Amino acid sequence: MKILPLKKTYAGKTVLDLPEIELGTGRVTAVIGANGSGKSTLAKLLAGIERPDERSWKAPAVRIGYMPQKSYAFRMSTARNVALNGDDAQRRQHLLKVLQLEPLARQRAKKLSGGETAKMALARLLMGRYELLILDEPTAAMDMESTFAAEGLIAGYCKETGCAVLLITHSIRQAQRLADEVLFLHRGELAERGSAAQLLAAPAREETKSFLEFYGM
Amino acid sequence: MGSSIQKAIALILSADRELLNILGTTARVSLTSSVIALLIGVPVGIWLGACRFRGRGALVVVNRTLMGMPPVVCGLLFYMLFSGVGPFRHLKLLFTVKLMIVAQVVLITPIVVGNMETYVSDIAPAMRETAKGLGFGLGKRFLLLLNECVYPIFSVYLLAFARAIAEVGAVSMVGGAIAWKTNVMTTAIMQYTNRGNFTLGIALGLILMTLSLIVNVVLSLMQRRMSR
Repeated sequence: MKILPLKKTYAGKTVLDLPEIELGTGRVTAVIGANGSGKSTLAKLLAGIERPDERSWKAPAVRIGYMPQKSYAFRMSTARNVALNGDDAQRRQHLLKVLQLEPLARQRAKKLSGGETAKMALARLLMGRYELLILDEPTAAMDMESTFAAEGLIAGYCKETGCAVLLITHSIRQAQRLADEVLFLHRGELAERGSAAQLLAAPAREETKSFLEFYGM
Repeated sequence: MGSSIQKAIALILSADRELLNILGTTARVSLTSSVIALLIGVPVGIWLGACRFRGRGALVVVNRTLMGMPPVVCGLLFYMLFSGVGPFRHLKLLFTVKLMIVAQVVLITPIVVGNMETYVSDIAPAMRETAKGLGFGLGKRFLLLLNECVYPIFSVYLLAFARAIAEVGAVSMVGGAIAWKTNVMTTAIMQYTNRGNFTLGIALGLILMTLSLIVNVVLSLMQRRMSR
């Protein structure tokens, strides 16, 4: 799946300038980088939330699912929020169970904590059928147990459906666990790409090295 | 003062015909104008809050200015338009309940629009991002937005009704406070107090305050439910 060269400028400042990127179907591609490196901008542009500078730019012509950093809980129960994106009751039960949301299923979703809301949002997204899944720091608010459960679900979804997953994360550890390939963004540019093991073993750029060192890698 | 209140309560309990007529006219004017304002204001408020377009900021500023329009100015405007020298004199609407309703709609609609716009613009960006990310179409996104607005619509309606029922400036100018025809509670209180008939004034004041209390209790309950 090809993502055409992408550029975004805010008030004359280029926040993202990427070359063509190929995303493998049935594979997880992690995007890492410091704050302001353009990770979320990339996610929003691909999901059609924001527009790139080039108005004629086209996102891949596939069904795209996107989970923003702060997902919205609609005014209904947790279970109904999840059911909004599909009526497969068995799958809904499975997702609620794995993400430990079963006891909260009948509770108003607006009363969920930040981590619980993120779990509900992931379950809701995974109820749908997509060919490209964009997840913007889906586990940032979750505890470790929930993070591992969520990672299992993401990997399973990718394998079962053969969709491409673009995972925005700050955690190189998470990228190591989940991703087949890692893109390292620095000030809006693709600084480096490769497997997590490659990046950890021999980062080619100084920025990648200092980013990884900062995270104790 | 004490005896006046006693007499006023007795008047309410006796279901005085004039009192009932004033209450009926008030209910007709306030209910109709607040419902019409809601029907116009809610879609406009949702549109202003949810959509981003050139000139939106200017529209919001104009609406906020209209929210603060003094009722007497509104009354004066309609008086000039519909009086014997006004461009709409042939409609013969001055000193009628119909024109009182129209004047109140003009006064209340900006309040409905402003409150809905504030609420929707607060939730719309996050909602849109999530719903669009799930691949929901425009129709489903609109229905979800409406679902989010259920309680705000109720509370905005109560606000609009409270404003309508307590308003005096516009209705007195365009209605003329004609007994048995266009006299509503607020204009009747002024009229009877000026004549020295405190009993009817106090009775109407008590009813008005009771209605205000009911509206505020319902509003508080709704706000508690919304925050749950």
